[in-house]
Amino acid sequence: MKSLLTNKWLKSFGITATLMVIICFMTGPSGSNTDPVAGFSGSLFNSAPFLGLFITRRWVVFLLFALIAFVVQQGWQAYGRQVKVRYAKVMATPRELKSKRPVRLGTYGALLLLALLLPHLVTDPFWQVAMVQQIAVYVLLALGLNVVVGFAGLLDLGFVAFYAIGAYATAWVVGSLPLPPLFGHALNNFWAIPIAILIAMAAGIILGTPTLRLRGDYLAIVTLGFGEIITLFANNLNGITGGPQGSRIIPHFHLSLGPLKYVWGNGPIPYYYLILGFLILFLVGFSFLEHSRVGRTWTAIREDEVAAESLGINPLKYKVMAFAIGAASAGFSGVMTASQQNFVFPTTFSLFFSINILVLVIFGGLGSIRGVVFGAIVVQTITMYLLHSPPSGYQPADLYMYIGAMLVGMMIFRPAGLLPATRRKREIVQLREEAQ
Amino acid sequence: MSSNELLLSVEDVTLRFGGVVSLNKVSMNQRRGEILAVIGPNGAGKTSLFNSLTGVYQPQEGTILLHRIDQPALSVIGQKAHRVAKAGVARTFQASRMFGALTAFENVKIGAEDHSGLGFVGAMFKGPRTRRGERASDARTYELLEFVGLTKQANTVSASLSYGDRRRLEIARGLATNPTVLLLDEPAAGTNPSEKVELTELIRKVRDDMGVSILLIEHDMKLVMSLAERLYVLNFGAVIAEGTPDEIRANPAVVEAYLGSSATKGKN
Repeated sequence: MKSLLTNKWLKSFGITATLMVIICFMTGPSGSNTDPVAGFSGSLFNSAPFLGLFITRRWVVFLLFALIAFVVQQGWQAYGRQVKVRYAKVMATPRELKSKRPVRLGTYGALLLLALLLPHLVTDPFWQVAMVQQIAVYVLLALGLNVVVGFAGLLDLGFVAFYAIGAYATAWVVGSLPLPPLFGHALNNFWAIPIAILIAMAAGIILGTPTLRLRGDYLAIVTLGFGEIITLFANNLNGITGGPQGSRIIPHFHLSLGPLKYVWGNGPIPYYYLILGFLILFLVGFSFLEHSRVGRTWTAIREDEVAAESLGINPLKYKVMAFAIGAASAGFSGVMTASQQNFVFPTTFSLFFSINILVLVIFGGLGSIRGVVFGAIVVQTITMYLLHSPPSGYQPADLYMYIGAMLVGMMIFRPAGLLPATRRKREIVQLREEAQ
Repeated sequence: MSSNELLLSVEDVTLRFGGVVSLNKVSMNQRRGEILAVIGPNGAGKTSLFNSLTGVYQPQEGTILLHRIDQPALSVIGQKAHRVAKAGVARTFQASRMFGALTAFENVKIGAEDHSGLGFVGAMFKGPRTRRGERASDARTYELLEFVGLTKQANTVSASLSYGDRRRLEIARGLATNPTVLLLDEPAAGTNPSEKVELTELIRKVRDDMGVSILLIEHDMKLVMSLAERLYVLNFGAVIAEGTPDEIRANPAVVEAYLGSSATKGKN
């Protein structure tokens, strides 16, 4: 018996099988009085035949998954090293190509072209709306949070507050709130962009200056509180923000230059191009920022604040700067969302929203601009796909379970994210070496 | 090389952590251009003294003055560390504290850059002032890497440099801030004998060629005695002796502090 318990293979298979049983229960239907373990013994696909061959129970399928996972794991343990070596050999040529400037610029050009053509390739109205509301805007938000969390290393759980501030500032400037508009009369949405950015930045500075003296967990708690405060303000200041109903009369972006008149209203596509334009601006700006004095200093402060201070760097100033820049891009995203959807409500700006954006950043790779963009697109596309055409048995509440599992897998196999930042990757290598 | 002009004057500095007295009425001074060393057994308060001099710790009593040429003296106590650094006090750390994820070049460049303004809009869109600043700090960084002999390792990630190279890189990074005094906390720790010789030469070169005064903590007696012009000896947070290397070698209180009271009685 004892030898059975210590058997390496049995132990390993036991762990895999247990995990699969848990997953089987979690993903399955809820039990009833007559069948409390329906999640385990229920039939897959509502009594559809498994692989068209025979009707089967959920546990059979999950046992099969466990076996597959076990074989893959054992195989990786035995041959993983060889596979890695061979992979490195195969990837040597593309990697060399990647470092060449024309290749890189060509890749970016091709991606840009794809982004420009995308609305013509994707014609499903659901996906056209999703592309704007759920992907493009989220990429923008993730880029902004990446400056705060990725570059400066400050855990901000109240990022949604700045997004809300941007959205409400838009409603204010264009005269859609109970509060009289900023300059006495309603302005074009384009004016909302600089004003919302400035207000969001000011909020970032006001919140950041006292709180950024705190570190790590403390900062996370304070920012989390700030996010909640802003939502409650929006909800409770009835005569100013419109209370729980918010505002539903925000106009679209519109342009009138003499004879030229244009309204961004016909479907989501005009907004897609508008956001894409600004997105490219942000992308270029943030990449320059990463490799500038400011970006280097953020890395230095993140790695060793005392050493950075010994070089005459004021850490608080740089942290507040990161906060303000992140807030600015969130504020800008708020302008886009409010104008495109024509409404603002307090309930949109929940804690889950902040966490969602943080997941995108971590998934893509903290501090890596291309990683964050790619990660945001991947995660949001998966989310939208599950919403649009859910597989049988999927419930909307399951979403975070799958995303959580994805993140756990990510942390095990690619701890620095999907497309990691060079500096972050080096940090993780160092941590590993120190631990050994 | 050293003049009679004062650079640093420390008077009756007491630093406590709760009930533990880390520095007890420490008084010392350094002249401009001098290579001064602080020695003492482990736990004597040497690093606490450094941290007090650089604004990392705030002593409860006493004064620390940094004398400047064209400005009034700066009272270090009560100042933030980055202000003290800006006023001309650079330092290295006991366990070298590089920015491990950055290259050697970037490490020094951060020190060489002007951190007084904000300039993030310029940094985002590569404005003319940002470009000028980058060019100037690039030139200065090359100069300093050449000075410490690390031009070949410029693009190496600093975490993968050898111990000796890291020490030299840290000195270059400190010098990049244009200091008047460089505080070196055990620069020779973890280096091999040949690296030690190179390091001694480098420290002397920093003083001779750049006119930067040196304040040094070191355990390697051979290095200290050959390099320092004057020494202070700390024990249990208090200064127990001061003098030239020869005077210190002959001081019975120092021998006792290092080897225990039995040594003076010839037992050990």
